[in-house]
Amino acid sequence: MPLRYLIIGGGVAGTTAAETIRKNDPVGEITIVSDEPHRLYSRIMISKPHYFLGKVPAEHIWLKKESWYGEQKISLMAGKRAVRLDPDGKKVVLDDGTELGYDRLLLALGVCARRWKIPGADRKGVYYVRTLDDFRQYQPASKVARQGVVVGGGAIGFEMCEMMSLSGLETTLIIREGHYWDPVLDQTAGQMVESALENHGVRVIRGQYVTEALGDGSLTGVRTENGTEVPCRMAAVGIGGFCPHVLAEEAGIAVNWGIRTDGKMGTNRPDIWAAGDAAEYDDPIFGEPTVFGSWSNAQNHGRVAGINMSGGDETYSRVTFYAVSGFGLNIAFVGKVAPLPDRTFVSRGNPEVGYGRLVLKGNRLVGAQLINRTPEVSAITRLIETRKDISGHLDQLADAGFDLKRLP
Amino acid sequence: MSIAKIEVKRDLCIGASPCVVAAGSVFELDAENKAIVKRQGGVSDSGPIDRAALEDQGIDDDTILMAAQSCPVKAIFLYDETGKQIYPEV
Repeated sequence: MPLRYLIIGGGVAGTTAAETIRKNDPVGEITIVSDEPHRLYSRIMISKPHYFLGKVPAEHIWLKKESWYGEQKISLMAGKRAVRLDPDGKKVVLDDGTELGYDRLLLALGVCARRWKIPGADRKGVYYVRTLDDFRQYQPASKVARQGVVVGGGAIGFEMCEMMSLSGLETTLIIREGHYWDPVLDQTAGQMVESALENHGVRVIRGQYVTEALGDGSLTGVRTENGTEVPCRMAAVGIGGFCPHVLAEEAGIAVNWGIRTDGKMGTNRPDIWAAGDAAEYDDPIFGEPTVFGSWSNAQNHGRVAGINMSGGDETYSRVTFYAVSGFGLNIAFVGKVAPLPDRTFVSRGNPEVGYGRLVLKGNRLVGAQLINRTPEVSAITRLIETRKDISGHLDQLADAGFDLKRLP
Repeated sequence: MSIAKIEVKRDLCIGASPCVVAAGSVFELDAENKAIVKRQGGVSDSGPIDRAALEDQGIDDDTILMAAQSCPVKAIFLYDETGKQIYPEV
């Protein structure tokens, strides 16, 4: 009997897993269920200038041909959502009532965009940045909106400011924090980002919640808690994400922020794995549960899960990396950058020469946040990976002129 | 299929770096966080670079193709001996 592999999620983690399984198991039955009505596409492109300005062909978004699934004998059920998981009966129920049995299951659920819960949130003109269908709404809107508001000081907010600005919109960014990307970025870094935005004509409103989306049907503006009204025809909301792990949780699978897995992407239930943005995995480098949303991470999770699901034995271990650029800034995050209570920090450089904040846990380097110091990524990655005691080198870490490659 | 030339389109590259993960002996990131191709003799750039000039002469076509296919913005272009574009497929 061929094994039945079921993959919930048709993004890069799920699709890479399917591809990997097929390489190892030519006869297994592989099914991907995706809640989006599309085959694999580049989620990354939907917020990148070349794509939204139409400088590359629209069909570049597709990462697999339609025929690929048939050639690989992978069945893609697109536009269907998994609503229930029965790990004892080994089956998944879809929103149309279909029941799918499995021998091995992968949950590659991704992360959902957190929605606005304010009056007027459902007005036409309020957009999220998550799917190709989102893109197909906000991209045409940006051509006629003239005035736009971006809500949220993170990667999505940064990219949407760039999209609106390059599209010629009068753009206002509203963040609830005192500085951009607080607390992931410290004040110096946050102000660097804000200066870059303001130098490109983006107005920045700090320390304010948006309390209402104004308009009659369609959006005409937003109001903040101190009564400031900003007129706009479109608002891009990037206020964070959440893992839709209720499916797993109801089935008795251990969850925290994401779905908990070991280093082999296996959950606490037999024959069920998780991968991608939704997986909170044990990484031996950091020695603590790690959840990290990035293309590269999801792709490699998918590969490792696929290997293990089809009888192999592989552990996922990698220093995480995420970069976003725009407005003349390269912002990079290497490893663990969250300023948890047990972390200490070393600042490196300044806004003129590039600024970084290195994150230490005890005597070890665990992460770094870098702005325009990208050449140091590989040296820092190595220092994190090798888990060396660096307590004797704090002066060198703080010396922006010191070549980090010279550290042992 | 035989890969004769590799190019990274710098204006497309976003430095997400899956190519470095897939084929670290061929690709690395430069100071601007853009992927470059490792040449023999240590001077790397975005190319186009001839296969014969790669630092890693042992690398196989499949690995290079996989690295190109792993790019989420399709910034890596591969050409055959006749100059025909192999990837992204046209």
